[in-house]
Amino acid sequence: MSAPEAPDLKATEGETGEETGVESESGVESGAETAQAAPAPPRAPARRVSWQKLTFVPAFLVAMLLATWLWFQQADLDPVSENALSNGQVSQALWEHVQLTVISTFFVLIIAIPLGILLTRRAFRKATPVAMAIANMGQATPAIGLLALLVIWLGIGRRAALIGMIAYAVLPVLSNTIAGLKANDPTLLEAARGIGMSPTGVLTRVELPLAVPLILAGVRTALVLNVGTATLAVFGGGGGLGVLITAGITNQRMPVLVLGSILTVALALLVDWLASLAEVLLRPRGLET
Amino acid sequence: MTFWEYLGNRHQQLLADAYQHASAVFQCMVVATLLGVLIGVATYQSGWAGNLATLSTSTILTIPSLAMIGLLIPVVGLGVPPTVIALTLYGLLPIVRNSIVGLRGVDPSLVDAARGIGMSRLARLLRVELPLAWPPILTGIRVSTQMLMGIAAIAAYASGPGLGNVIFRGLASLGSANALNQVLAGTLGIIVLALLFDAAYVLIGRLTIPRGIRV
Repeated sequence: MSAPEAPDLKATEGETGEETGVESESGVESGAETAQAAPAPPRAPARRVSWQKLTFVPAFLVAMLLATWLWFQQADLDPVSENALSNGQVSQALWEHVQLTVISTFFVLIIAIPLGILLTRRAFRKATPVAMAIANMGQATPAIGLLALLVIWLGIGRRAALIGMIAYAVLPVLSNTIAGLKANDPTLLEAARGIGMSPTGVLTRVELPLAVPLILAGVRTALVLNVGTATLAVFGGGGGLGVLITAGITNQRMPVLVLGSILTVALALLVDWLASLAEVLLRPRGLET
Repeated sequence: MTFWEYLGNRHQQLLADAYQHASAVFQCMVVATLLGVLIGVATYQSGWAGNLATLSTSTILTIPSLAMIGLLIPVVGLGVPPTVIALTLYGLLPIVRNSIVGLRGVDPSLVDAARGIGMSRLARLLRVELPLAWPPILTGIRVSTQMLMGIAAIAAYASGPGLGNVIFRGLASLGSANALNQVLAGTLGIIVLALLFDAAYVLIGRLTIPRGIRV
């Protein structure tokens, strides 16, 4: 009785352990799969959830932003709030936030995914547990502490904020990539080698296509993490929507605080939505489970 | 002042901050675990309710913590209340998801056998399903705790308790001799706390996971 139970639990444990708390759609779907052991086709519910999510999120965002806009229409702001919100400072903060997110995500992906591929090659496989251990240690590091250390080291400015964001998001994406490449069915790789494919051929034509959902999940993880850590960039002089939030807290101006927070929430949900859309659209046909 | 001198001078205050940090995270984790497992138990049997629970908790997790705290301040004010609410909300997701996955992963034939020997619904849940689902739930608790350690540091900006205050004090006095010491002490303190909690969870796992399903 314990024998068939064990691998199942191990699987769920590994799956949740490798994520740093940021949800990936695949986690939900595989959860639904284990629920209905065989009789009900698991495809239908998984599809329906993503479809619901795809329509619900934009509707929710529009409603939230509309409500905020209406509230600001009738709210009378005092000079301090006026000052913090005038002269296009809001759109500038928003634009800086988007820039920070996009730039850091780009660097996270070009660092973490090749590194993950490298670490799962035969020659470097011995280094994988070390990398995973470092990744786990890194997850215990608070983002704000990392950022603060970099600011002290590199001086205040955008560069320190960006490096901190990248360093913070690289580890989870890296461990996701490694876990996903390791989870590829070894018999498929064996078969690919058996029909005479070169190691590069196996990598580019079998392993990477199979790992596409996982890489997309990594993109999503990185994006969502970076939208979050970009709010902390303000503490390193990096700008972004955190400017509005901190200004609202320190000056005790709730309209500024609420506007900054709502824009951040909207941006985070929008980015997550876009990434999940990409996951649904770009997933290879044969892997639609 | 070197780092060690700084630690020697301020160890009392640092220990007090570390204690507050750990106790805030611990208390919020207890609440989040109870709530999370309850939500899991209430929703795992129906497909849509389970998915809804996972979806809504994962949406909460998508929200950056500073923005969440920012939205809570107008409602509950500064200090401990927004910290506790934010930490509890963020701690929920891994626990809810893992309880649902764990409870759904329990072999139906085992539940059937439990019913066959005359166990009530409650007894089946408490003596068969939850013990079998406990390892993934414990993993969820570990993931949550690690995350909350970092979020609690950010909550210090809203006058929350803990080691985040040390980091923000260092950031506020950039350029002064002690800035690096403060930031380093706060950051390392949080890492040490996170590792201590993790070790405690490994120990709890050893003690509480039923022998039959240990891997």
